[in-house]
Amino acid sequence: MIDSTTNSRFSTKQLIVIYTIISLVGLLIVWELVARFTSASMFLPPASEVLAAFARSFVEPIGQHTMLAHVGVSLYRVAVAFIFATIIGIALGVGMGYSKLFEAIFKPIFEFIRPIPPLAWIPLSILWFGLSDTGKFFIIFLGCFCFITVNTYDGAKNVDPELIGAARMLGASEKQVFFKIVLPSSVPYIFAGLQIAVTAGWSAVVGSEMIQSNEGVGWVIIRGMSTGNTVQIMVGIVAIGIVGFALANITSALERRLCSWNAQKGM
Amino acid sequence: MERSEGNVKTKTPVLECRNVGRSFDSYDGSGKNEVLRGMDFEVYENEFLVLFGAGQCGKTTLLNILAGLDMPTEGEVLARGQKVTKPAPERGFVYQKTSLFPWMTVEENVGFGPKVRHLPEKEVQERVKKYLDLVGLTGFEKSYPNQLSGGMRQRVGIARAYANEPDIMLMDEPFGHLDAQTRYMMEEELQRIWQKEKRTVVFVTNNIEEALFLADRIILLTNCPTHIKEEYEINMPHPRDYVDPEFLRLRQLITDNMDLTL
Repeated sequence: MIDSTTNSRFSTKQLIVIYTIISLVGLLIVWELVARFTSASMFLPPASEVLAAFARSFVEPIGQHTMLAHVGVSLYRVAVAFIFATIIGIALGVGMGYSKLFEAIFKPIFEFIRPIPPLAWIPLSILWFGLSDTGKFFIIFLGCFCFITVNTYDGAKNVDPELIGAARMLGASEKQVFFKIVLPSSVPYIFAGLQIAVTAGWSAVVGSEMIQSNEGVGWVIIRGMSTGNTVQIMVGIVAIGIVGFALANITSALERRLCSWNAQKGM
Repeated sequence: MERSEGNVKTKTPVLECRNVGRSFDSYDGSGKNEVLRGMDFEVYENEFLVLFGAGQCGKTTLLNILAGLDMPTEGEVLARGQKVTKPAPERGFVYQKTSLFPWMTVEENVGFGPKVRHLPEKEVQERVKKYLDLVGLTGFEKSYPNQLSGGMRQRVGIARAYANEPDIMLMDEPFGHLDAQTRYMMEEELQRIWQKEKRTVVFVTNNIEEALFLADRIILLTNCPTHIKEEYEINMPHPRDYVDPEFLRLRQLITDNMDLTL
């Protein structure tokens, strides 16, 4: 616990930043020491070497592209799949949560697809879509759309019935109840889903780029594996970690902005 | 007895509750759970009617039926002679836990009714302004419900119901969640608002002081199944005093007549 009353030199906010830095630097030091002084050094390149290679990767291309281009390509793939997943996930989730009929039709299919890991679809996706980007979109889509659907469904199911009653009493039609009450009231749930989904989609990119490709952060890792280049594997991992961290923070900042009305629970 | 024919009301009822009963299937499915029985009364133009009774059972169910949010299993409810079958903006509802739309600002909440009924934007704005002013919340247009105190939220709830300019207002223990001081203040506020903008009101409460402070007429309900025990015409002038001898006499009279077996 950080107790701001016992430490007058730093504010709580500053302490959080300081501890975060200590935590990250600590990780790097432990990594460096383990890699240099234990038998793990055979498989784990030291942090300093990886970070240097990571920095270099922005100027010297890995394969045909520099790191920025690899990240860009991967982000593009996630973005396309994520947009489709968002549209379909929200529509499916809110539909199943609001309409019993819709739920009866789509829920069994959805529950069947949900537990299948996205990577299990790779062979089929190669058959269906070949080695094009479409196949990668498909895998990333499957990696994130379930989270959006489940959360939206939860949100639409948990709309306070009194709010729906209040809207009807005020003269709202069924359509207005749906768009003005059910949908906005599900927004915090939808955002929770989007946040998990964007991270899950970003994780799925590695899998999707295992399908033959010549670029992307997933490819950097796969390529590193096939050439036995552990430094390059770690560089890819570091890139994925940093971008994933940034994505999670961007979505949660977006949520705080758009759902400020929800900041205080228990109304 | 206090039962009387009522002297100030025009005799056209705004709302008629005709022998309304409501039963629910019991949980084990073995029988019926009767909540309301033989509810028979009228609500007159610009009357402040209080449905008063102890405990939880029946009052909210009755109000939901009057609103059209729930259907009676016996009898019927008529609004201006028309059978009530579904919710309608002619009947405004004020909830115990306010049930404001938390993602909407105060003005969006108040304007919701006029807006969904496709009134012209100018009219919507005028009503928002008028009724926020009426409840004393001018200046809070852009606030969200979670930024307001309990009493202020209840004011928004009242303004939202008023903004539709309904034929009748149904209030379900609107001050039940407030602390005692805020509650007294809100009772006075509601009285002021109602004197300024007369509406027909059906107000549900389990608080005898609140009932006596506000009512033109009190219907005393008794529990399980809920039915009407007695009616009292309250003719004290407003604003009323909680320790006025007549106030205390009626309080004693009504309290003595309650079944406090639960």
